[in-house]
Amino acid sequence: MDLDKDNANPTILNPSDLPSRRHESNAGKRDDGGSGLFDDLIPPYNYLSDPFDDPLSASDSDDDVVETIDEQEIYDLISTIADPEHPLSLGSLAVVNLPDIHILPPVSPQSSISTVVVEITPTITHCSLATVIGLGVRVRLEQALPPRFRIDVRIKKGTHSTDEAVNKQLGDKERVAAALENGTLMGVLRKMLSTCE
Amino acid sequence: MSDIQQYLLDYDRNKKEATATAQRSANQLQSGQLKLLNLIGALGEYFNSEDGAIRSKTISYLAEVLAATPQKVLSLQQRNLLTDFVLSRTEDSEGLGSCAKALLALEELGKWDDGRVVAIVEALLRNTHPLRQYKQQTERYPVLRLIDTLMAKYREPLQQHHTETGDFLPRFISYFDGEKDPRNLMVVFSILRVPMTEWNIGADAQELFDAVFNYFPITFRPPPDDPYGITAQDLKDRLRDCISSTPDFAPYAFPALLDKLDSTSMNTKRDVLQAITASVQEYGPRTISLYSITLWDALKFEILNVQEEDLAEEALNGLAAIAQTLSQGPNGPLSAYLRPIIKECNEHLEDAPTKQSQASARILHKISQVSPEVNNILLAGVLPTLFLLFQNADTMAKRRGLLEVLIQLIKANVAIYGDWRLPGPAGDQVATNSLKDFRHQSLEVPLNGLESAPAKEVSFRLVCLDGLLQLSKARQLLSDEDVGRAIQVLQNIVIHEESYGKDEVKEAAVNGIVDVAHQKPQVVVDKAFPAFLAQLPDSDVDGVKSYSSVLEAFAKLASEEKIFDTVLLRLKNKFGTAVQQGASSTYLVALLSSILYALNQGEAKLSHSPETTTYYNDIALPLLQRASSSNSSHPTAFDDESTLDLVGRICGIIIRSQTADSQNAIAKELYTLFRSTPQSDQPPFNTSAAPEADRTMIISTHLLASFRKETILPGELQILLTSLAEYAQQPRLSVPVRSASLRQLSLIINKYYSASSLKTCMDPLVSHFDLFSSEKLDTQRIRVIFACLKGIVLRSSPALNTLYPTVLSLLSHAKHGSTVAHGFTTLLQPDDLLTKQNHCQISGLHKQKSFALLVPNITQSFREASPETKPNYLIALSGVLRWMPFEVVVEEVNQLVTLLLQSLDLKGIDIVKEATISTLASTLAEKPKTLEEHSGSLISRLVANATVSKDSAPPAKVRVAALKCLTLVPEKFAQETVLPYRRQVVKKLTAALDDKKREVRSAAVRCRAKWLEIDEAGDDD
Repeated sequence: MDLDKDNANPTILNPSDLPSRRHESNAGKRDDGGSGLFDDLIPPYNYLSDPFDDPLSASDSDDDVVETIDEQEIYDLISTIADPEHPLSLGSLAVVNLPDIHILPPVSPQSSISTVVVEITPTITHCSLATVIGLGVRVRLEQALPPRFRIDVRIKKGTHSTDEAVNKQLGDKERVAAALENGTLMGVLRKMLSTCE
Repeated sequence: MSDIQQYLLDYDRNKKEATATAQRSANQLQSGQLKLLNLIGALGEYFNSEDGAIRSKTISYLAEVLAATPQKVLSLQQRNLLTDFVLSRTEDSEGLGSCAKALLALEELGKWDDGRVVAIVEALLRNTHPLRQYKQQTERYPVLRLIDTLMAKYREPLQQHHTETGDFLPRFISYFDGEKDPRNLMVVFSILRVPMTEWNIGADAQELFDAVFNYFPITFRPPPDDPYGITAQDLKDRLRDCISSTPDFAPYAFPALLDKLDSTSMNTKRDVLQAITASVQEYGPRTISLYSITLWDALKFEILNVQEEDLAEEALNGLAAIAQTLSQGPNGPLSAYLRPIIKECNEHLEDAPTKQSQASARILHKISQVSPEVNNILLAGVLPTLFLLFQNADTMAKRRGLLEVLIQLIKANVAIYGDWRLPGPAGDQVATNSLKDFRHQSLEVPLNGLESAPAKEVSFRLVCLDGLLQLSKARQLLSDEDVGRAIQVLQNIVIHEESYGKDEVKEAAVNGIVDVAHQKPQVVVDKAFPAFLAQLPDSDVDGVKSYSSVLEAFAKLASEEKIFDTVLLRLKNKFGTAVQQGASSTYLVALLSSILYALNQGEAKLSHSPETTTYYNDIALPLLQRASSSNSSHPTAFDDESTLDLVGRICGIIIRSQTADSQNAIAKELYTLFRSTPQSDQPPFNTSAAPEADRTMIISTHLLASFRKETILPGELQILLTSLAEYAQQPRLSVPVRSASLRQLSLIINKYYSASSLKTCMDPLVSHFDLFSSEKLDTQRIRVIFACLKGIVLRSSPALNTLYPTVLSLLSHAKHGSTVAHGFTTLLQPDDLLTKQNHCQISGLHKQKSFALLVPNITQSFREASPETKPNYLIALSGVLRWMPFEVVVEEVNQLVTLLLQSLDLKGIDIVKEATISTLASTLAEKPKTLEEHSGSLISRLVANATVSKDSAPPAKVRVAALKCLTLVPEKFAQETVLPYRRQVVKKLTAALDDKKREVRSAAVRCRAKWLEIDEAGDDD
């Protein structure tokens, strides 16, 4: 049954090595170097907090802090897409990598359009499913990002035997739209995206 | 009419009557009224009838009479005659089943001799071969039962007959050909298993094997009403027992099974793998040695290319079974079997980490758990290559892959030889453990890896760490010195390493030290304790804060029972020194926190020995004295309320498991706290005490919480209660002191009032302050009311029947109604002081009781309320629902839906919305039907609360909750209900995708994806 797979024995990254957002509020950023082990000693519903005191203070003070969409967030959106061949995520197969994701700010001050560039690395250079993976990433981002982002998905240079041809396909709006009309292809994409968090 | 005539008449009409007739004949035989000769004579003409059916019924009559006849009625001679007669009837093609039944009945009446048994079997084979010519299952079944009985009771004559007559077995085997009925097959399998296991089957082995293997794989599925009571699993089990019954089958079984292993059906593969494992276990080492390598070559694919996890598991079982069987024989075949495994695994190790190197680790882990010998051979075969590859490895990933294999091998070794605490199944034969030969390298590799790898190689270092832990576990493997080195590396990580990423390595290192402490407590005390304590300054006047992580690690060690006391003692001493040296409040609080953490870890130990007063005398008492005194022993840190809370908690956890007698002594000092001043000078009795004295109320609260119900309080209950209520209303009190005093009210009412006096417990407050008067109502009074109620609510007292309506009526209060409404959320809120451990009385059904008393009343009053006070009812309702388990709400949810939806429109009272949305989400999950008719208003309100717009800005928490709830909608409602809203929801959620909070965006992505899917699912249809 491994005959029909392009790469039956891929290399797998360990989940701990995948890039993830550090918990700014806890580890690392605590000024005392502790891990917050003792923070839970006093239960959250502790008798000293008085619900009568200020019932309207529920809106957190840090509600105003703006967290912008960054590369890590893009990575989190697409790294959980399942590979069409293996029951593994694109992140753990190193098909999508954090350093290969770039957010380009709007070109002029009048424009609000930013561009997200994602370069994917197929597991082997002749991977026949590179286009499908690219398409999956594209569809996922189109669904998950606000419309002020333009999305550009391409194969990383030199990682695929026909990268230019594939890039042309992925960049061609009409061909992408036509591909999404194809029922079988949509079925594959839906399966890939079903593992997304 | 004679009995036989009667029987024939009834046979088709009424089977019960017929059986009764036969029974009557049997009784007459017994009593001697009827002679056997006459009985047989009467049958004569029917046996000679032209009509086959009559002949068949006649023999059935005879069988029933014989079955009903007790033993000793018939003589040996009579029985022999009867046997011969019945046997001769088998020549007749009618009534075979009844013949067999008659013979079974005769056998019951007295044992046959050997010759007769053989004659019976031969006659059956001669007259009725093959059995399948009888179409009725009911005809064949008694014959099979008869043969099965003979096989069970007369093994020797039949085996002898087989040995003496060359052609018996082939005829016997083919006799059962073509049987299809599951009931009969069960018997056939059981019959054939006798020659398989006991006879010398020689040349007939293949025929015998085929006779059962033809049924492989069993695909039988019992019909819905299941008249047989036989499952496919019963058949599979018996068939597998047959296949694995004799090593003579091996030449046929293994090729046939391996052939079926290529099947595309997972069920077939599962059966094959189970049959292989069973066969390997039964055939014995000599036979298995011939097939071991063939089997390995086939089974390994199931593991290297996993199709289904359980198949891989079965294949691993099979491989382990082979090693197990071969371990029972000489060493040669075992090594011959393991050699290709070692070779193949070593090859896969070369390109680690891949799927196949992981599979190799599984194989090695499984097989090396079989026996000490196997473990030793595999270690000797794999480890040298592994270490060599490790040295020459060019990437960290590869080294990690190799180490993972090493860990699996060490784990298997621990499984065989045991850990330091317990020897493994191999018994105490650690001397032969060949891991000893690799001890040095196995230790150095992870040790160096952990020390020298850069901090960013998180997973590599985690694997190294795991390796070290497994190695320090292995029974009597490492010297104390080596374990000490491992601990030293771990403690260096904890103490000296810079924080990196999520600090997974640091955390694992701390947990690792705790694990080692479980195995080798003394080494940890000797090594890690001095290192950790050296990092804890006596005073932190220079402002360093590097102690935090060390303090945390040290406190965690308290979870190991053997070193709990030592940890606690060192922390206590450190605290004493720090106070003397004038350390900062931050440091003192950190030390107190670590003491409390350690006590929480060792709580079980405390509660097991209530008589021990050491912890009280050494830790709690000095703390109490420091807290209440005003001289130099009282550090400034103790002027802070949250520090006093920590002190209170430490004392509480120590005191609460003590005996009532010791508690009585402490209770005398509940408010004086060893200050040697009269109690009346102290709060709550002195309402104008100094601020220092006010603060000690926080400690008193914890002491009061820790007391048992029997403990005697200092002062009369009513006076205590009124004093506390009065004290708590003093405007000068800080928030924590007030909360503490109010909580004392709840505790006293909950623990110290008897069930009968509970009903009137609030009367003194009413008479003293006119507590419920709506003119005098203010915030302080509302607090007192809810504090008292909280103690009563947990006990589900009938007093609530009158108290709740009184309090609910205050909701319409123009000025304070909203404050009262917010009070309802406090009633059922989880509380850290009113708990079972603190000896409180908590009724199992108190939430149900409050629900039943409050919710109908609130919904009713809501309808009648004025528009200005309506929000108060919604706030109160959501406060009650907030902590209500959904099982309680579910019955009434119909009545609540409109109220819940209305409360989503409230502006500015966002805390209410969160609780409401969570109730709606539970309703969606459990009872979507109740909401479906409101789908439009539900969806639009959720969307409104999920997004920030000009006129409403719900807080992030509410936005997330609304989005999560909205995600459930398409899942729970019928598609035609949600489809009309799809476009609108998807469009409006685009705004949420650009929310300024990451958490909201991620919930929005998930929610939107769900809504997008609706249409796609529709496309498929």
